[in-house]
Amino acid sequence: MNQLTCSRLSSCLCENLSRKIRWLVIMMLAGSVSAQAQSETGTQQEFKPLQSLSNWFKTSELPAEATGVEDNKKKPGWVSSTINRFRNNELPGDLQIHGFVTQAYIATSDNDVFGNSDKGGSFGLTEAALNASARPLPKLQVSAQVLSRRAGEGNTGMPRLDYAFLDYQVYSHEADQFGIRVGRLKNPFGFYNDTRDVAFTRPGILLPQSIYFDRTRNLGLSGDSVQIYGEKAISSLGTFSAQFGVWWPIVSDKDTESSVVLTHLRQGSLNREASYIGRGIFETNDKRLRLGVSGIWLNTSYDPSFHSQDPIGSGSFLFTPIYFSAQYNAEKWSLTSEYAIRNISYNDKFGNKFLFNGRNFTGESYYFQGEYRFTPRWEGFVRYDAYFADRHDRDGSQFSAEFGAIPHTRFAKDITVGLRWNVTPEFMLRAEYHHVNGTGWLSRLDNPTAAGTTQHWDLFGILASYRF
Amino acid sequence: MRLLQFILHIRIFSRFILKRRAFIGCFLFAVFLFINLNAWSNEQPEIIVNTGVTENTVSGNVLRSIFSMRLKTWTDGTKIRVFVLADDDQLHQIVAKEKLNVFPYQLRSTWDRLVFSGTGQAPIKVNSNEEMLAKVASTPGAIGYLWRANINESVNVLQIK
Repeated sequence: MNQLTCSRLSSCLCENLSRKIRWLVIMMLAGSVSAQAQSETGTQQEFKPLQSLSNWFKTSELPAEATGVEDNKKKPGWVSSTINRFRNNELPGDLQIHGFVTQAYIATSDNDVFGNSDKGGSFGLTEAALNASARPLPKLQVSAQVLSRRAGEGNTGMPRLDYAFLDYQVYSHEADQFGIRVGRLKNPFGFYNDTRDVAFTRPGILLPQSIYFDRTRNLGLSGDSVQIYGEKAISSLGTFSAQFGVWWPIVSDKDTESSVVLTHLRQGSLNREASYIGRGIFETNDKRLRLGVSGIWLNTSYDPSFHSQDPIGSGSFLFTPIYFSAQYNAEKWSLTSEYAIRNISYNDKFGNKFLFNGRNFTGESYYFQGEYRFTPRWEGFVRYDAYFADRHDRDGSQFSAEFGAIPHTRFAKDITVGLRWNVTPEFMLRAEYHHVNGTGWLSRLDNPTAAGTTQHWDLFGILASYRF
Repeated sequence: MRLLQFILHIRIFSRFILKRRAFIGCFLFAVFLFINLNAWSNEQPEIIVNTGVTENTVSGNVLRSIFSMRLKTWTDGTKIRVFVLADDDQLHQIVAKEKLNVFPYQLRSTWDRLVFSGTGQAPIKVNSNEEMLAKVASTPGAIGYLWRANINESVNVLQIK
């Protein structure tokens, strides 16, 4: 374990140093704050062995948190006084600071997920975030979050502004309300997209990839937008809440570019165009039943490179998925299912060199998931998750015949079982196992050639997460 | 004749004794019930608010909306500030289930969704009943909950319609 940690650290050092330093500063800050938060709430009644185990995890397995703990020991006065100031509700504007640090270990039988995971596993997934919110006026909230995510080739750990916006509640009467949000916002789709990077809120180490691709996450995650939202109580049945926004997606990252344009020949760049997003959720008063519909109208266009002879023309691309979500919550168990029908159409301006010029695909995804809470601390879940890039060609055979591609890149069927242990309300451990048939949602940056991938593969992961 | 009178006496006496026994029984039962009711009412959870809050009663929907951190202001425009105990606290769990009619884990996931998407704030956590009383008493617009036995005149009890 130590060896792996060391090798990870040394490989990190080889990367761009300034990026690394910024990343480390964020991690240390988040880590030290979290360590402080834990000591504040360390009054949990726990078995000694559990405590020592959790301590062991915190100090030896998690490099990021270990750094934080050391940092905290060096300057306890500074950290605790800062936190106490932040936690004091008498501060003007009701300022709140929250965040989390997550480290996962992932091992695969074949194919790479978040780093070189098929050669003895990797600690390739690290997530950390720090957010602040304040209410300078009773109906005005200002919030911002900085997120660092290190996951394979697609995410280097470079902190990015995840969201930063103003939220003004224009109208409120009883439980009904209506308001507007302006700034960089998380995209509301499905049950989980808004908080997909928070290990505490997502079901599993990996979200159901058929719906929440990590491959195009940067595109779907957040964007600069104007959103209106409303909430209406429906007699004594429940509440209907809706959000609708105009949004300019963030397309300038290599993961999105390689997913959308699908070729390593690309030399130009993607442009942001006005896109639309909306979601409606009905929730019964006891929150047992939750039903949702969300839709996206995503526009992107491709700008060929001027410096070289770009074989691809200035085409545009339209992605219009619709998501249906349903969840039933009982005291001990929850059942969740989501279904997506995804239309992707490329116009004919890309030119003949581009395989998908003028093409149109309709993909389909769904998952069924059951969670069971054995005790408030121990939870288990099972999930079946299916992805088809083209619903009329579920085994990829037509696609393979036409483009000579490997059929198993066009689907993925994933069976998952997992366990979650809430060691304390702030510290959580997870373990899960996936058996996957297909490579449909694998990152193309981590697995550059489809020929190098294996159709039937297994994934095992452990994750530790700390929040405050 | 005297024997008859004696028997009559004994009968009256025994009836009296029996009645009295019944009376004592009733009395003891009443005392027991009273003590029990008293203890029971002291173990009732109540929603408490700062004395500056003008509302005396709210609907179940409004209360749920407040503790779900969606409703942000009282009718007079002051900020609502929500105080809660830890997720695993017994009082918190009873309030969630009986007063709000939701499971505690659902409240937690609602708050997490708001905090980490920036669309809302988390309630302010207090570590004890004493701190709850002190914070609700001293913070304008504050709302929280306590066992009836721990409530004094420094806060108001909010009735639910």
